Amino acid sequence: MQEAKDIQYESSIDKRVLVVGGGVGGIRAALDLAESRRNVTLIDKSYAIGGLMTQLDRTFPTNNCDLCTVSPHLSQSGRQIYLDLQPMTVLDALEGEAGDFKATLLTQPRYIDVEKCTACGECQKQFPEAVRFTPGLDPRAPTCMRYPQATPYAYSIDMDKVTDKDALVQSCKADAIVLDDEPRKIELNVASVVLSIGAELFNPEALDHFGAGKLDNVVTGLEYERIMSASGPFQGSLLRRSDQKRPKRVAWIQCVGSRGINKEDVPYCSGVCCMYALKEAIVTKERFAQEIETTIFYMDMRTYGKDYELYLNRAKNEYGIRMIRCRPHSIVEDADTKNLSITYAVEEEAQPKIEEFDMVVLSTGFRMNSETAVLAEKIGVELDPYQFVKTDHFNAVETSKPGVYVCGVAQTPKDIPETMVQGSAAASMAASNLPAMADALPEEELIPERDVSGEDPKVGFFICDCGMEIGGVIQVSEIVEFAKGLPRVAVSQAVGYGCSSESMAVIEESIKTNGLNRVVIGGCSPRTHEAKFQDLLRRAGLNKYLVEIVNLRDQNTWAHLGEPDKALQKAFRLVESGISGVLQTRPLVDHTLPMNRNALVVGGGVTGMTAALQLADQGIKVYLVERAPVLGGVAQTIRKTIEGEDVGAFLNQLVKDVTAHDNIQVLTRSIIVDHSGMPGRFQTGIQTGVRMNYMQLDHGVTILATGALPNRPAIYGLGSHDGIMTQLDLDTLLDESPEKVQEMDQVVMIQCAGSREPDNPNCSRICCQAAIKNALRVKALNPEASVYVLYRDIRTYGMYEDFYREARNQDVQFIRFTRDTKPDVRVESGRVYVSVFDGIIGRTIDIETDLLALSTGMIADDETTEDLAMMFHVPRTSDNYFLEDHVKLRPVDMSVRGIFLAGTAHSPKTIPESITQARAAAGRAQTMLAKQEINLGASVAKVDGSKCATCLVCVRACPFSIPLINEDRYSQIDPAKCQGCGICVAECPAKAIQLMAFEDDQILAKLDGIFGGLN
Amino acid sequence: MGNFEPEIVGLCCHYCAYTAADMAGSKRISYPSNVKIIRVPCTGKVDAIHLMKALEKGADGVFVAGCLEGDCHFKNGNTRAAKRVVYVKNYIESLGFEPERVAMYNISAGMGERFAQIAGEFTEQIKALGPNPVKNIKSNHQAAGQ
Repeated sequence: MQEAKDIQYESSIDKRVLVVGGGVGGIRAALDLAESRRNVTLIDKSYAIGGLMTQLDRTFPTNNCDLCTVSPHLSQSGRQIYLDLQPMTVLDALEGEAGDFKATLLTQPRYIDVEKCTACGECQKQFPEAVRFTPGLDPRAPTCMRYPQATPYAYSIDMDKVTDKDALVQSCKADAIVLDDEPRKIELNVASVVLSIGAELFNPEALDHFGAGKLDNVVTGLEYERIMSASGPFQGSLLRRSDQKRPKRVAWIQCVGSRGINKEDVPYCSGVCCMYALKEAIVTKERFAQEIETTIFYMDMRTYGKDYELYLNRAKNEYGIRMIRCRPHSIVEDADTKNLSITYAVEEEAQPKIEEFDMVVLSTGFRMNSETAVLAEKIGVELDPYQFVKTDHFNAVETSKPGVYVCGVAQTPKDIPETMVQGSAAASMAASNLPAMADALPEEELIPERDVSGEDPKVGFFICDCGMEIGGVIQVSEIVEFAKGLPRVAVSQAVGYGCSSESMAVIEESIKTNGLNRVVIGGCSPRTHEAKFQDLLRRAGLNKYLVEIVNLRDQNTWAHLGEPDKALQKAFRLVESGISGVLQTRPLVDHTLPMNRNALVVGGGVTGMTAALQLADQGIKVYLVERAPVLGGVAQTIRKTIEGEDVGAFLNQLVKDVTAHDNIQVLTRSIIVDHSGMPGRFQTGIQTGVRMNYMQLDHGVTILATGALPNRPAIYGLGSHDGIMTQLDLDTLLDESPEKVQEMDQVVMIQCAGSREPDNPNCSRICCQAAIKNALRVKALNPEASVYVLYRDIRTYGMYEDFYREARNQDVQFIRFTRDTKPDVRVESGRVYVSVFDGIIGRTIDIETDLLALSTGMIADDETTEDLAMMFHVPRTSDNYFLEDHVKLRPVDMSVRGIFLAGTAHSPKTIPESITQARAAAGRAQTMLAKQEINLGASVAKVDGSKCATCLVCVRACPFSIPLINEDRYSQIDPAKCQGCGICVAECPAKAIQLMAFEDDQILAKLDGIFGGLN
Repeated sequence: MGNFEPEIVGLCCHYCAYTAADMAGSKRISYPSNVKIIRVPCTGKVDAIHLMKALEKGADGVFVAGCLEGDCHFKNGNTRAAKRVVYVKNYIESLGFEPERVAMYNISAGMGERFAQIAGEFTEQIKALGPNPVKNIKSNHQAAGQ
């Protein structure tokens, strides 16, 4: 690393937020801020952003390709005007205080001008050793282009490895090489900092018994992902490293390096490995062969997330994935076959077993690295004993330093949805140190759009040579001449690099001076550059939908490099097709609505109140609707958190803050009775107060925070005896009558009471830690008491594992049962008895107990979610929780724009988790409220009522249930809801529907163009 | 016939197949230049009329390429497209054309190699079938008209 020379001071009047780390959490935080029209600088030490997620093959539960889900986010972050992206940059120092920090950033030289680099790859061809392009994404091939959506879309140079600098400069036709680039120090005035610095994965080579790094066919979970990946070393084939053959028996070993007390282990649970092992096993079966035997060696199957239990059930029942509960002892390799023998012991049997596998995957978890400690020290942020960033008990994104927030794995181990939630929550907190929302930055002013309706089409054709990328394969001048000969073409011109600011200015000028009203760009892919040229047209006073991009580079000169004659012929056809198509384009109006900047929060529990406060502090008027007479929700029945924090005191303060806030109108004893309007302009009717008066609320966004209900199933004798109660009852008893508990000698707890059952199939997530919390409190009152926890899997994810270990240290007895060997509860002579089969000793034990606490967890508030789902047109899960729009990428957004979701109405979760989600929902809501109007795009389906035969085909075909039959008896598609797929268009037998921007006449015109020279 | 270079149109969805084609280009994986792509938001948007018109206007083969099954950005557009392709195959067969002139493929955005492979295989398939008979009929008609 070179020494940085000059310090450049960059202070602006507009304060900004600094986001450190460009993984998914950091990207989410930065995008949320930018979308809320706040200036944000996103830095990453790497050459391109994306983090760990871009290395994964597919993600659960949909088993989708990650590349496809994450890439729109990456390119989105390249386009925001409020977002400044600084790759190869680290935070070096932070002085000052919240609202007024001075951050020193250190940027390493890239030796490439990102603005000029076109990622053509010429420099890489000549200097393969010295040129980096998204390295770190695949350590085996640092020069590979792993995916076409890299951001920034540019190379970088390792100057130490360059032998001939002149030749390097010569190699770049875009003139992007900057030989004298130097490390730079920049001081930035920032209001808040968001740390999204992630963690590393444990390297199992430190362990000697599993052979990682020594045995060819032992791989880590991430290596297995890379092997399965289409862009991996075997191009997506599942092969063994030793002989490049497909394995027939694959085993996963869980908790490698996690939940251990040996020298290389960490004691905490990494939280994500159970799910990724299940995913890898399922994908193995799905994609490669059902015959491949898959076996998972696990300690507890921790599928505690939303619907994760269903995923586990599918793995077992549909895919036949074998689960063996044990911690294997060792792996031994057969010298000839390179097969692997695992030695393991199961609880039920005395003798260890040995079984042979072709491949073994080690499920390794998260580790913090020393870099984090250095950074934390530099900026004055405290870490926890495991080097994760320490946070406030009730606010998991707030660090020990005011104004500095954290999200993602750097806080505790967590998966992608939780990281996304924290990213949004951290952004929302970071914004609170900036001026209130009402004063957010203005939107860009544009000149009025020219009305071209009366004009004949006048096409301007501009072709890029893209340096040698297009111009080196085909003669650009020949295409210019060809286009000149086509009808309606007024201008045909070569523009070098069309996307450079110089060329953009030339095109803009040409549109104005020549009165062009259609533009065709012959260049690279519309996927990456259409938006850029659309913006150009708009700046030039033309409707942005009057442009067509012809893909002459990615789909022509690059693909037909060796056949320049054929590439030229194809270019003629593509250009004619584009020009023929653009003649059929018409000005389209992006659907917009004036934004109502009020918010409706449904539910006055901890989640709803937190979200309401977060918005109200930003100057948003909030209606907080609660059906009960008082605020507080289920949290009123919880006394202590597992960390020992006083929930009551916290709740009282929250209620006080909410009630006193000028911007919050609290409406208790209120129920929602009707709902209408569009995103940004909703009307919701409520009946409020003891007299149930009707009132209509106008609001732009809605946050659903209706919570869930404590479950009270009539099982295990609940309700039949005073000594049988739920964990919530015990929590209260411990708080109010500790003397009663003190006298107890025997306490039994039964986990999964009413959860993980066919009628309530998911895990309630909160019960394991709740039981351990109460077990420890019983032990604290009476250390001599015998406490038994009867469980199926202990799911103390993340740092909760510490409490589980503590409970075992304090001699709390954990006895496992299965769904088939559930405990029996009976009452005899007023005493409660619990009998359970203990697999370890192989017999049934009978416990006479003073108290039986049932971990009944939560159950969805079916009636409420059903009513609201009908009124708000939002979906629910099979177990009646609200269903978010995208489980991974939009975890608090509902499928209806402007409606957000938080707390236990989403799925069971703890108070701190609900609070984080509340802040996330408030943050996401701000991205919408920041705008004066909402842009709904223009590519939507439009019905010609006169052609519609009311056949209902579109109503049935639409994957999003948008078309409705209106009062005039024809189909009507709400442009605010249409997703623009065009499925209804193709299905409509009367051809009454057209998809704007992809109209049939445009597609047919493009076909005409392709064959123009033939007919 | 040895020099027959077929005209091939690929209707590719924005989210997967079109991206895969870009990916093939960015990896410099070559495929026959006979293939020309029209971008659609989703293969569910592809109408039978687009396939028929392509054949009528002079394509020797047309393929539709969408996301992997179950991965459609719009839930089920690709499975609808697949059904439509089968329909068009049956239809042109009843008109006396080879159903192999129309095909449906599923690929993900990252599968540049696979795109090139599909483009190559389909082109070979159409080469083996020879020119679209519509072209002869058309030129005969034109000759008769003159």
